Amino acid sequence: MKITGFDHGQRGVGIRNLQLILPSVVCSTHISSRIAKDVGAITFAHQHGCGIIGNDVGGISDFFCELASHPNVGTVLIVGLGCETIQGNELAEKVLGSNPQTKYLVIQESGGVAGTFESGIKQANDLAKANPVSNKELIDLKVGIESDLADSRAEELAKKLEAAGINFEIENTSKNAGISFAKLMGKGVHLIISFTSESQPPSGFPLIPTINIASKSALHMALANDFDLPASATNVQIIDLIERVASGTKTKSEISGSGEIIAPRVVRSV
Amino acid sequence: MSNLSSETSLLTGFPRPDGRIGFRNQVLVMPLHSALCATARSISQAVSGSVSATHDWSGEVDSDFERITKVLAGFAANPNVFATIFLTLNTDNENQIIKRAEDIGIANSQIIDISKVGGLAGALSLGIELAQKFVSEAKKISRVSVPWSALHLGLECGGSDALSGITANPALGVASDLLVELGAVSVLGETTEILGAEHLLAARALDPKVGEQIIETVARYERSINYEGIDMRGAQPSRGNIEGGLTTLEEKSLGAAKKAGNAPFTGVLEYADPAKKPGLYFMDTPGHDIEQLTGFAAAGINIVVFTSGRGTPTGSAVIPTIKVSTNTQMATSIPDLIDLNAGTIADGTQTLQEVGKAIFDEIIAVANGKLTAAEKGGHQEFALSRMYGTVIS
Repeated sequence: MKITGFDHGQRGVGIRNLQLILPSVVCSTHISSRIAKDVGAITFAHQHGCGIIGNDVGGISDFFCELASHPNVGTVLIVGLGCETIQGNELAEKVLGSNPQTKYLVIQESGGVAGTFESGIKQANDLAKANPVSNKELIDLKVGIESDLADSRAEELAKKLEAAGINFEIENTSKNAGISFAKLMGKGVHLIISFTSESQPPSGFPLIPTINIASKSALHMALANDFDLPASATNVQIIDLIERVASGTKTKSEISGSGEIIAPRVVRSV
Repeated sequence: MSNLSSETSLLTGFPRPDGRIGFRNQVLVMPLHSALCATARSISQAVSGSVSATHDWSGEVDSDFERITKVLAGFAANPNVFATIFLTLNTDNENQIIKRAEDIGIANSQIIDISKVGGLAGALSLGIELAQKFVSEAKKISRVSVPWSALHLGLECGGSDALSGITANPALGVASDLLVELGAVSVLGETTEILGAEHLLAARALDPKVGEQIIETVARYERSINYEGIDMRGAQPSRGNIEGGLTTLEEKSLGAAKKAGNAPFTGVLEYADPAKKPGLYFMDTPGHDIEQLTGFAAAGINIVVFTSGRGTPTGSAVIPTIKVSTNTQMATSIPDLIDLNAGTIADGTQTLQEVGKAIFDEIIAVANGKLTAAEKGGHQEFALSRMYGTVIS
């Protein structure tokens, strides 16, 4: 398997070159999505960044940092509100350690919505211009596998990947595939193979191309169009698709945009 | 305002079949699984006049299940919603949420079971078709005169500063008192923000039992935070508040409580529970702006006034949210976030009563159709309040 990816320096070689507009708080998610839409970047809605206490303050901040430092991410624009718990400038400082192609702006200091929108577009474009990316061979592709504990296909695929010399990480869904996706993201996987639970719909993770493989459940048969591979897919077919997706082919969830980022939280909000 | 009485309401709205009244005719696309949120957003972006909610619930049944289903159902059944289009996988839990929304009262609804329409693409095209149909039906309905009791006002503050407690919050209190006097519902939230002032609120209870409930609600909140090993009385005011000039939690809470004016408290509401009769209430909500706003929406609140010292663009898909600035500097530097400036009280150019009356008038204007800054900006933030986090069940 020879894959040409994007050289993202100390973050590694990515299979995508994504610009991330990262809202540091729920209050800036809407303006972030407007900026992202205008400049062709990706972003995500979330409800975090403020009203959090205890271990969640460091936990959510680390989680945002992991997103911004992921190998599939090129440049990052952090958009904050100004008065939130996780301050955009502090998050930016933390992110800069692992992703130097990072800037931040603050709604309360940028003239409100219109000013932030205008300045956000300019900064995002400047970031992209200032950081042209070159291609580089990806020699250490890391695949994430998400599955039900009961699904033996994950183990079988893992054996084949091992035999083919491909790195992988496995997360077994406890109650929510999104939590497993988040854990796999933290481990730096380039793409995810999801052996979707029988009662769950196909889903995805915004920064990481996610290949959904169906089961034989009635729900999955009815949603066949939204899966990348049917239940009958062989390991050879799966590995073939891994190679194509790693080389640029978009997955179904990348096209539809389905799948929200689910941040690990341990404490109630205040 | 002596000419105002409960007989001469200035409000116009849209009566719903269950007797509640909306001040907007929103067409809401409500996904009941996180994996369906992108499709819901695509539908609402394609159809002008429709809105959607994005959340991270994926059907899991854990300790927060009851809280989450209550909020999703209540939000979908907010009286400002003319029609709700549910996106579902047809699971028992989702059907339970829809049933619960119907029991609260929902003017019009349609269910798109994605497994019966060929998946996400089918749901998208059917959703667009249905949303367009509902939007054009909604446009044909005229407003009618409605009583003051139609108004369920939510009182909120976020990003407080040193002026919050002397300008915007007491001015909002003036407006709230007027409306409560006329027969409206007014709801103060944010348990976090009354810590240290609970005894003052309890003293204003109509019934001693309500006073005890206020004290107990705050004590319960503190116990749940202390359980996490955190002392809220040490963790507040927040850093943003300190930068805004606040020094102690008591100072912040005394200022925050002024939003509720001087009216007596009729009752205490659990998070996302509706008020059943007119009066002033206290609702147990987090201080998290959007969890509070979403809980208000799920409780059937149909207008919110949100005071801010630092400025925030946020809004709700289903509630017009009026922003009142506590200081003139912020109102001028970020004008597109703010509907009214109460900083004039500190400037000495308007009295507290004058700004209170201006907020009262703005509430009526917005109820009658005037768009807020957050509505113009398309703000539709949504958050599910969880008591137990996402990784522990």
